[in-house]
Amino acid sequence: MRRGSTALPAALAALAVSATLGAAVAELARIEVVLARDRRAATAALLATDACLAEAIAGIAPGWDLAALLAGPDGRSGTPDDGSLALPAGCIGGASAAPGPAAPPRILLRLEASAGGGRRRLEAVIGRATAPGPPALLWLAAPPAWSAVAGTVTLDGADVDDPTAATWAGLAAPDDAAGLDDWLAGEGTHIRLGAGTGPALTSAPPPVAALAARVRAAAPAGSEVLVPGTPSTALALVAGDLGVTGSLRGAGLLFVDGILDIHGALDFTGVVIVSGGVRVAAGGSLTVSGALWVDAPGPEVVVDGSVVLRQSQGGIEAADRLLPLPRRAALLGLRDLG
Amino acid sequence: VRPHRTRATGLVDLLVGTALAAVSLAALAAAVASGGRLLLAAGARGEAEDTVQLGVEALTFDARRAGYDPTASGVVPVAEARQDRVTFSADLDGTGTVDAGSEEVTTHLCSVATGRLSRIIGRQSMPLAEGVTACGFNYLDGAGLPIAVPASGLDAAARARVRAVALDLELQPPGLRGRTSRTIVVALRRSP
Repeated sequence: MRRGSTALPAALAALAVSATLGAAVAELARIEVVLARDRRAATAALLATDACLAEAIAGIAPGWDLAALLAGPDGRSGTPDDGSLALPAGCIGGASAAPGPAAPPRILLRLEASAGGGRRRLEAVIGRATAPGPPALLWLAAPPAWSAVAGTVTLDGADVDDPTAATWAGLAAPDDAAGLDDWLAGEGTHIRLGAGTGPALTSAPPPVAALAARVRAAAPAGSEVLVPGTPSTALALVAGDLGVTGSLRGAGLLFVDGILDIHGALDFTGVVIVSGGVRVAAGGSLTVSGALWVDAPGPEVVVDGSVVLRQSQGGIEAADRLLPLPRRAALLGLRDLG
Repeated sequence: VRPHRTRATGLVDLLVGTALAAVSLAALAAAVASGGRLLLAAGARGEAEDTVQLGVEALTFDARRAGYDPTASGVVPVAEARQDRVTFSADLDGTGTVDAGSEEVTTHLCSVATGRLSRIIGRQSMPLAEGVTACGFNYLDGAGLPIAVPASGLDAAARARVRAVALDLELQPPGLRGRTSRTIVVALRRSP
């Protein structure tokens, strides 16, 4: 009898089968790991591309069209820098004209971003938002100064006419949104936020200079539209400072090309744009149902009295009908290119 | 001189050896069988995971480009919105029209009855997933709240409120007890 004649081959065969199975399981696991890694890389690249797109859109200044973007940094068409724009690190791309009619204003933005070992490309259609300005009650050209409010500022983001309307932020400015919220909180009881007021927004400055030119070209009225009684809706320009000592009311769009200096009371429905800053003296009050946009070389808003800002879509729309207001850039659509 | 004793292989030794060999072989066979089952299960699980991922990625791809309209011709991003199907439109070639027979109109169709999730382009229906045990689309408005979907689907006004499309997908891989599922919410890349 030959001992071990079957046991050894059987054991070896079993070992071989086991090894084969083990190798197959390992290969399967390896494939799944590779697939998962590829998916993660593709997702990371997709997110990076989306983030790049979001930053690119946020960096486009509010305005009426996108021609400046197509002209490039030198502002002249037909030059090599046409369509080039500043993009975040790890992201390249450029703008070009969209096909079809010129209106509504829009451009094509091609972007490519890399992240996590992956790379993605997309083409986006960028236009202007349907609603004017940022959805904020107070739009500043620079971050607000600390301790600028010795009186009280009340910000109510809920619409005075339509409680179901989307709420607005209290403040928009070219600064980190968290920093703006810190400022609001840091002013303590001097700033009161209504229940419907959203968190602050990061926004490019209001195009006050361009607005001034457009207002002047639209044959505006003057400060006579501010009256003690019921006001008419009007487009008004005050060339220079506007001091308010009595109790006045107004509606529509008021552009103050100087300092708005309030010692009395001003109640306005619509949009108030001020190029020289707002001063509200102790005992004075400014109430705006709509939006207040301020650009100033020094402190933009100094409040020793009372300021009340509340959302009014009706007021904004009325102002927009008098003079088309600037819009933020908005994503109108995109397609992934690979 | 002590005589040298040669030990013979007795019946008991043979029986013990055979029993040990049988036990060893049985253990080996069981191990091999377990390995085989593990391989099959891992393969099935991996395939199921790949399948649901493919379904999710296809929806993401089509939803992201829904409403792409470079000529501002008024392309409606969501042309049909039901619980079992969603149709996206896009003017991908920038001609100002949407060609229903091309990839410019894509439909994702869930059918638990047939156990299939399909992507339909023109007359072509491409199965994305088989063995579907649960599948449905939901629609969210600008506030992220779900929009109730009637049996006839969302009307045009309701579809205009859609800002995101969600897919719940669940597969039963063959031979496995545990199911594979995914839920994805894809925002339409189009400002209101």
